[in-house]
Amino acid sequence: MQRIIRFRNHSIFLILGGVFVGIVLFCALISIIYLPDDPMATNSMTKLAAPSADHLFGCDHEGRDVLSRVILGSRPTVIISLLGILIALLLGMLLGSAAGYFGGAPDHFLMLISDSIMAFPGILLALVFVAVIGKGLPGLIFGLGIVFAPSYARIFRTGIRQLKDREYILLARLIGVKPPRILFVHLFPGLVPQLAPAIVVGIANMAMAEAGLSYLGQGVQIPQPSLGNMLMEGQSYLVYAPWIIIFPSIYLLFYVLGMYFLSEGVRMKFKTGGV
Amino acid sequence: MNYFLRRILQLIGTLFVVSLITFAAFYIIPGDPARVILGPEATEAQVEALREELGLNRSMLQTFSDWLTGTLRGDLGESLIFRQPVTDLVAQKIPVTLTIAAMSIFMTIIAAFPLGIAAARKPGKFADQLISVIGHFFLAFPPIVLALVITLLLGLTFKLFIAGEYVSYTDSISGFIASLFFPSIAVAIPKIAVFQKFIRTSIIAERSKDYVRTAKSHGLSNMMVMIRHILPNSLVPIITVLSIVASEILGGVLVVEMVFNIPGISRLLIFGIENRDYPLTAGIVLYLAVMTVIVYFVADILHSLVDPRIRLK
Amino acid sequence: MSRFKAETEVVKVRRRNRVGTALVALCIIALSLCSCANPFRAKSRAPEGGGTYGGEVVVGITQEPGIFDPHTSVAAGDEEILFNIFEGLVKCLPSGEFAPALATDYVISDDATIYTFTLRTGVVFHNGEPMTAEDVVYSISRAAGLETGVPLRDDLSGILSVEATSANSIRIVLESPDAELLPFLAVAIIPRSVADINETPIGTGPFKFQEYRVCESVILVRNNNYWQSGLPYLDRVTFKITPDMNTAFLQLRSGSIDIFPYLDSEKASRIESDYQILSGESNMIHLLALNNDVAPFDNPKVREAMNRAIDRTELIQILMDGAGTPIYSGLSPAMGAYYNESLNNAFPYDPERAVELLTEAGYPDGFRATLVVPSNYRHHINAATILVDQFSRVGIHLSVLTVDWATWLSSVYAARDFETTVIALTSDFSPRDVLSRYVSDAGNNFINYSNPEFDAVFDQIRGEPDEDERILLYHRLQEILAEDSASVYFEDPRNIVAVSKDLSGYVVYPIYVQDMSTVHYN
Repeated sequence: MQRIIRFRNHSIFLILGGVFVGIVLFCALISIIYLPDDPMATNSMTKLAAPSADHLFGCDHEGRDVLSRVILGSRPTVIISLLGILIALLLGMLLGSAAGYFGGAPDHFLMLISDSIMAFPGILLALVFVAVIGKGLPGLIFGLGIVFAPSYARIFRTGIRQLKDREYILLARLIGVKPPRILFVHLFPGLVPQLAPAIVVGIANMAMAEAGLSYLGQGVQIPQPSLGNMLMEGQSYLVYAPWIIIFPSIYLLFYVLGMYFLSEGVRMKFKTGGV
Repeated sequence: MNYFLRRILQLIGTLFVVSLITFAAFYIIPGDPARVILGPEATEAQVEALREELGLNRSMLQTFSDWLTGTLRGDLGESLIFRQPVTDLVAQKIPVTLTIAAMSIFMTIIAAFPLGIAAARKPGKFADQLISVIGHFFLAFPPIVLALVITLLLGLTFKLFIAGEYVSYTDSISGFIASLFFPSIAVAIPKIAVFQKFIRTSIIAERSKDYVRTAKSHGLSNMMVMIRHILPNSLVPIITVLSIVASEILGGVLVVEMVFNIPGISRLLIFGIENRDYPLTAGIVLYLAVMTVIVYFVADILHSLVDPRIRLK
Repeated sequence: MSRFKAETEVVKVRRRNRVGTALVALCIIALSLCSCANPFRAKSRAPEGGGTYGGEVVVGITQEPGIFDPHTSVAAGDEEILFNIFEGLVKCLPSGEFAPALATDYVISDDATIYTFTLRTGVVFHNGEPMTAEDVVYSISRAAGLETGVPLRDDLSGILSVEATSANSIRIVLESPDAELLPFLAVAIIPRSVADINETPIGTGPFKFQEYRVCESVILVRNNNYWQSGLPYLDRVTFKITPDMNTAFLQLRSGSIDIFPYLDSEKASRIESDYQILSGESNMIHLLALNNDVAPFDNPKVREAMNRAIDRTELIQILMDGAGTPIYSGLSPAMGAYYNESLNNAFPYDPERAVELLTEAGYPDGFRATLVVPSNYRHHINAATILVDQFSRVGIHLSVLTVDWATWLSSVYAARDFETTVIALTSDFSPRDVLSRYVSDAGNNFINYSNPEFDAVFDQIRGEPDEDERILLYHRLQEILAEDSASVYFEDPRNIVAVSKDLSGYVVYPIYVQDMSTVHYN
């Protein structure tokens, strides 16, 4: 009985998550070939127009079509969250495995850096990195990548410390297998159950961080739409034209929620517990 | 004892690196506090005179070591813009931030326990499934969106509160608490979702242990077993997790303060960054880092008390 | 001293050496305000004889004041509060004229190098000390930097000496003739005895400083010893700081803010039935500044093409719901006689002509450039968005970079490292102040504009004693700027204020201040 429920549960999470994320990914892809309207075209005639047949999601304070902006705006969210997590993962892997594998002084130093990064409020550190690297997509991807790297470094470090004293690893070392090969062939596959859900949640958190930065005006630069800067621009019109922020909010929610559901499904599949 | 000493050294190292990063950032990012203070029409001579007066012409390392010496003596220096001691400014604003944090933690606890216990009663049944799905929904709610939804729904539609309305604690304590109530909810909701899930897991784990079966076989009611045995025994790991949740709440408060426009520590922080007021920014960052690090430290200590194996490593 | 501002700000100048009482002037202004048309009508009345005394008022402001030293504060957000605490020898009236305040009379020598003031007697500082000639000399010397050599107020740097000629008169001697110095002598008079004026802001104004809660509010209380009898009416004024206009608006609707200036027209239209909506002429030059030293903006044809490529009426419609005036040169119509009316519609919207001009300039397919915007000013960000869209229709593709104010000041304004930027220019009181930045070697000529003819005409004005002649010369300066298409000047927005229906006596000033002395409950 218990087994059946578990199975059903993780399928539900995977399916729901897949659908939610799928909608946003579809929009991000379709925006390359088709947009219902010009997302940048300002027009005094359609200023703050409510949703209608012509403009399904209504128009914003500058008369721009909200639907087109949402579709185009989901693109940076997807790009930044996926590429950013890749950077975070690579950095985390490099630092975490070095720390875990060698131990001693390098371990202390790397953990000091990662502790320090985690002691900052995340959004503040991201602000600093984006300010130093520069605004726009590369700045956001690398800035957020650095901020997110320590949590992956920890997974790699802890995992490797636990696994490296196992017999098969010791044997591999004994017969002279080089450290990189040991890491990639023997250690990393053992970390997948912990890494997979952490990566998917990381994508969701990064999408939220991007939205937060764009909301503060430090992310995707206007007039290019992103879900975050649409929230920022629309907040002033919350009272009388809520559609300006409702639709990007729903899209952001779909993406983040979908990723969380996927991660829950993945976690259940690997049967690793914890919060 | 050795373990605690090592942890404290590590902690001090962390704070040092955090401060160094803050100072380095101010030297890399363009912008001059003297120019901000004097405004656009200031002449070069005026700017130079003020830079000299404020000690902005020193090297980064000189500025940092001066600040560090002061900080070790308990003096965080004076804000460049407000011309007031940083400690005074922080003391004015930190009660706001801490009140929101405390209220959120309180809300998290009183909501998460009943939910977690209810979900754990019959795992897999309707109540559990419902709480699980709703929990996941709120777990993943982006804080900005949540704050906007609360403003739109509770504030504008149901008129339960006025967004951005803030009553100072010097004017009225009850008004102060009331004005921070809804922002605290915005912080608490995702944390309730996280925390109830952990309570559920630890209760289920605890219940499967032998002594519970023994207690039940002695004829104790389910309720009594829960209150007398399961809850107290699962409390220690729950407290450990709570301390981690608490540190996350601090981060959540910063975001929510910005969206709700509450004059707490984060507005002061943003003001400090935007105006390149480095003593103010560094001071606030240090405060926040100290709080985060202490929470983590307490969590670590608790954890090591529960599980002595950690100390041996 | 020029200033920059996000929200609407108003400066009007009609400088004439007129001596009259402030109250008489107030009544005149109240009448003239009623003639301001579109789209919001001024409903405010000047206080009549028996206004109600007492009560508290909350004014919403959007900028953190920060500095309370009236001589070093430069942000407009400081000034709107300080206006109630400090006063100068002369004081700006709602008409833009300057009436004697702490002085009762003044004489300007024929060669315009000596200003002599007769001081008002019986004026008392907030700490109870009487104001003396020594205090006035101290204040002006401090602001003009006579002791230190570095003036705190750059516009007073032409002052050679200040001295007390008797117990109640002082004399200011200038280095060179200047008939237009009076507006700048509104500089605050502070007591000599106060060592740190920033910490204890003590002046002679209608309200006393009580408390500053950082990021929250500034609280002022009634000055019972104010020299203008019968003023002020209110016991207490709280300036509530809410950096976000949306939040402030929600509080206004809920009634916890009584007066909110610099409201946008969209929000004003929503609360018309519940509030008095006043509006005043503004003197803000909102422009897309082009760096005249950088290609392709060093080419006048490109600059002219850009001026013709934008539809100012449409832009103002989107940005302000039409509550603004299109402008084409560096001076606002709010400047009255100084404004050159022949420049109305100097660049009609004509995208075809713009493309022709671009082709002539060697850019048949347009070009790409960056547009820097200070991120703390929503109004500028919105304007930038619309401009980018309109320019893209003629092939000019601008990519926006938002930077914070500190970065903008250092990189764009001081270092002049930019291609284009959206900003609003405002000045205190005089057309000379507005136009001085276009002189080739001016320190604040951040657009790197250079035209010898402009420089020559500008020099001529300073020595010109006749006001009508000066007006003609100012007209010429504006023409030169338009002929060269120095930048893309696009609008002068209106200042819209929402005032609770329970209040009377609020007057919209042509400068960035909130005068609370005349406000009272019905």
